[in-house]
Amino acid sequence: MLLIIPDRGSNFTSIGRTLNAGFFAYADGGFPPSETRRGRCNPGTRLEEETSMRKSALLICSALVAAASLARVGAASAEERTVYIDGFGAKSGVVRSLGINSEAAMRAAVDLINSQGGVKLADGATGKIKFEYYDDRCVAEEGISIVRRMAAGPTLIGVGPSCSNVTEPLYGILQKKVGDATDSGLQFPVFTDVAIKIGLAKISEWSFRNVPSETEMYTTMYKWVKDTHPELKTLYAGVEENFSHSRASWYAVQKDAAPAAGFDVKGVTKWLVDDTNFAQQVREIKAANPDVLAVVAHSFTTCGLLKEMDRQHVKVKMLIGLTSSAIQETLTNCGKVAEGITIPTSFALLTPEAKAANERVAKYNGTLDIHSAGTYEAMFILKKLIEDQGVLAKPDTVQADRVKIRNGLAALKTTDGLLGTVDRTSDREAVKPYLYIAAKDSKWVVMHDMIKTKQAAN
Amino acid sequence: MGVVDYIQTIIDGALFGATYSLIGIGFTLVFGVMQRINMSYASTSLAGAYCGLMGQHLLGLPLWCAFPLSIFASGLIGYLVYLTCFRFIPVASPLASLMATVGVLLFVEEMIVRATAGTPHNFPAIFEGNSIEIGAFVLRADLVGVFLVGVLTMILLMAVLFRARLGVATRAVAQQPIAAQLCGMRLQTVNGLTFVIAGLLGGVAGAMTGAAVGILSPLITIPVTVKGLIVTVIGGLGSIPGAIVAGLMVGAFENLFQALRSVSERDIYVMLLLFAFLVLRPGGIVSPGRGRD
Repeated sequence: MLLIIPDRGSNFTSIGRTLNAGFFAYADGGFPPSETRRGRCNPGTRLEEETSMRKSALLICSALVAAASLARVGAASAEERTVYIDGFGAKSGVVRSLGINSEAAMRAAVDLINSQGGVKLADGATGKIKFEYYDDRCVAEEGISIVRRMAAGPTLIGVGPSCSNVTEPLYGILQKKVGDATDSGLQFPVFTDVAIKIGLAKISEWSFRNVPSETEMYTTMYKWVKDTHPELKTLYAGVEENFSHSRASWYAVQKDAAPAAGFDVKGVTKWLVDDTNFAQQVREIKAANPDVLAVVAHSFTTCGLLKEMDRQHVKVKMLIGLTSSAIQETLTNCGKVAEGITIPTSFALLTPEAKAANERVAKYNGTLDIHSAGTYEAMFILKKLIEDQGVLAKPDTVQADRVKIRNGLAALKTTDGLLGTVDRTSDREAVKPYLYIAAKDSKWVVMHDMIKTKQAAN
Repeated sequence: MGVVDYIQTIIDGALFGATYSLIGIGFTLVFGVMQRINMSYASTSLAGAYCGLMGQHLLGLPLWCAFPLSIFASGLIGYLVYLTCFRFIPVASPLASLMATVGVLLFVEEMIVRATAGTPHNFPAIFEGNSIEIGAFVLRADLVGVFLVGVLTMILLMAVLFRARLGVATRAVAQQPIAAQLCGMRLQTVNGLTFVIAGLLGGVAGAMTGAAVGILSPLITIPVTVKGLIVTVIGGLGSIPGAIVAGLMVGAFENLFQALRSVSERDIYVMLLLFAFLVLRPGGIVSPGRGRD
C-alpha cells in the first residue's frame, strides 16, 4: 500500500480520495527524510534529534491515519446504493387502466422520495429507489412468472398485482409460514396495492395488502343507510357472477351485512363481466320492486344495468354500488343514470396530502383513485420500513433485507395514509379510513365522512 | 315467471340477437365468396365503431356522424384485412389465412385497449330510452331499430348480390373462380370488393352493437366474435338469410336459457345448440337437411 504524505499544496481531500481508491504511498519515495536531505547536523545531538524526528513522524503518521479513517467514514456516508422495488399489474387488456394508474402513482412516489434524498440505509449510506413496472396482463401465470423473476434478482419487494384473480394464485406460490423448512414456496414479500377481494393475505405470511376492508366498509354502510333511511326495508342485489372481486363482495360481505343491518334481501340477479344485455335482469329487479338495489359489479356492467333500468323505467329508492365503481369512469359513461348511487370508498380528494398526491400522479399521466391511492401510500410505507428495519441493500444482503421488510410489514400496527391513519390487522390486511360518496350531477360528492365520525367517537 | 314473462324474454333476446345477425352476415359473406373464415371480422367491426367515435372526440363532429364514419372506417379496415390476411396468402393455405385473421383479431383488440386504456366509451344510442308497448309486451325501440337496420341491410345486400354487376361477379367468383376469371372477371378485385362490402356491413354491425349496448368496450370483442361464429354455423356457412334467422334465434335462446336456468349456465346451452346443429343439421338452419350439394 502507498501513502501520500501531503506536501505544500496537497490537502486531506486528495488523501481521502486516494485512500478511497485503496492506495497508500510515500510522497517523495522515502521515509524518514535522510540526513543528507536535511543538510548538516550536529553529531552530538544526532541520536536525540533522530529519535525526536521519528516520534514526530510517528505522530504525523498517526494523525494522518486517523484523518484518513475519518475521510473514509465520510466517503462511506456519501456512498449511494440502489434499492430495487418493482411494481406489477395489468398494463394491457381490458383492465389496463388499473396498471397505468398504479404505475403512475408508484413513479410519482418514487421520484418524490428520491428527490428528497432517497432512503437512509442501515450503515449510513443513502439508497435511491430504482423502480420498474411489469405488465402481468391480469393473467395469473404472467403474474407468477414476473414474481419468480423478481425473486431471482435484486428486487427487495414486489408491489402488485392489480387483479384479484392474479393475486390469489400468486400468494399460493409464496411460502405459507415463515421459517417452515418443509415449505419450498418463494420467500419473497409481495405488497398488494389494487386487488381488493377480501381475505387474501392470509394465504401466505409473505403477502401483505394495502387495500380497503370491504367487510368494514359495507357493514357500517348498510347500518348507516338503515339509520338514515329507516323507511327502506327491502334489498335486491345484482352480482357480476364471474368476477372474483364482485362475487366475494356480495357472497362474503354484503350478503350478510345487509340483513344484519335490518334489510330484507328479496333476491339476487346475476350477469357476467362482459355481458351487454340486461333486459332479463332488470325485469327481475322490477318484479321484486325493492327499496334498495345493490349493484355488485364493476363500472362497465354497472352502467349497462343502470341504462337498461332507465330504458325499462325501473326505479329504486336507493342504489348502492361496488367500491371499485367509485371512479370517474362510472360518471363519464353513465353519470346521468347513476345519479344518487352511493358507494363506500377509501379515497377522495379531501386532504391536502391527497390533493398534492393527485397532482403529482397526474404528471405521470395517471389518476389517483381508490386503487392507485393504495399504491402511492405503499411506497412511503416501504420507505419508512427500509429505514426502520436496517435494510442494507447490498448484493449479498438481498434475502436478509427481504426478511427484514417482511418482518417490518408484519409488525406494523398502523401506517400513514392519504386520508389518515391506516390500521393493519394481524392477518396482514389494511383497514383504511373510508367515507361514503354519491353521484350527484355527474360528480362524486361526500355523503358521509366516516373518518370524522370515528374521530368524533374516539 | 309467467308465460308473458317468458314471451317477453324471448322477444328481448331476439331483438338483441339482431346485432348477432349483422355480425353473422359479415362472417358468412366472406365465407360464401372465399370459402375462408375471417376471424377478425367482429373486432374490425368494433374498431370501425371506435373510429366513428374518434370523429366526435378528435374532430368535434356531431354524434350522429359516428354512424357513417364507423361504416366508412370499417370498410377501409376490411380491405386492409384482405390485403394482409388473404391477398398474398396462397389459396392452398387456408389455415394460414385463418391464423392471420386470428392475429389481426388480437392485434386490433390490443390496439383498441392501447388507444382507450381499456376504458369503455359511450356510443350514441338510437331512440334512446324509448320503448314500444304492445299489450303486455314492451319492445326496446333502439333494438327494434337495430333489427330493422339488419333487415334493410340484408335487403340491400341481396339487391347488390342479385341485381348489380358486382353481385353477379361476386357470386360467379364464389361458385367457379376459374371460370369467372376466364370470363374476364378479376378475381382479386372481386375478392377485395367483397371484403370492402363485408367491412361496410361490419361498420353497420359495430355501430348498431355500440348503439344497442350504449357503450363500446374491448370487453365485448371476443364475445361478439364467438356469437358471430355460432350464428354463422347455425345459419349455414354462406347463407345470408340463415345468418339473420340464426342471430335472432341465438339471441332468443340465450335469454330463455338464462331465464330458465342461470346466467352461468346460459352459454353451455347455447354451445349445446351449436353442437346439435353441427350433428343434426350441419348445413345450417335454412339449408335442406340432406344432400344440400
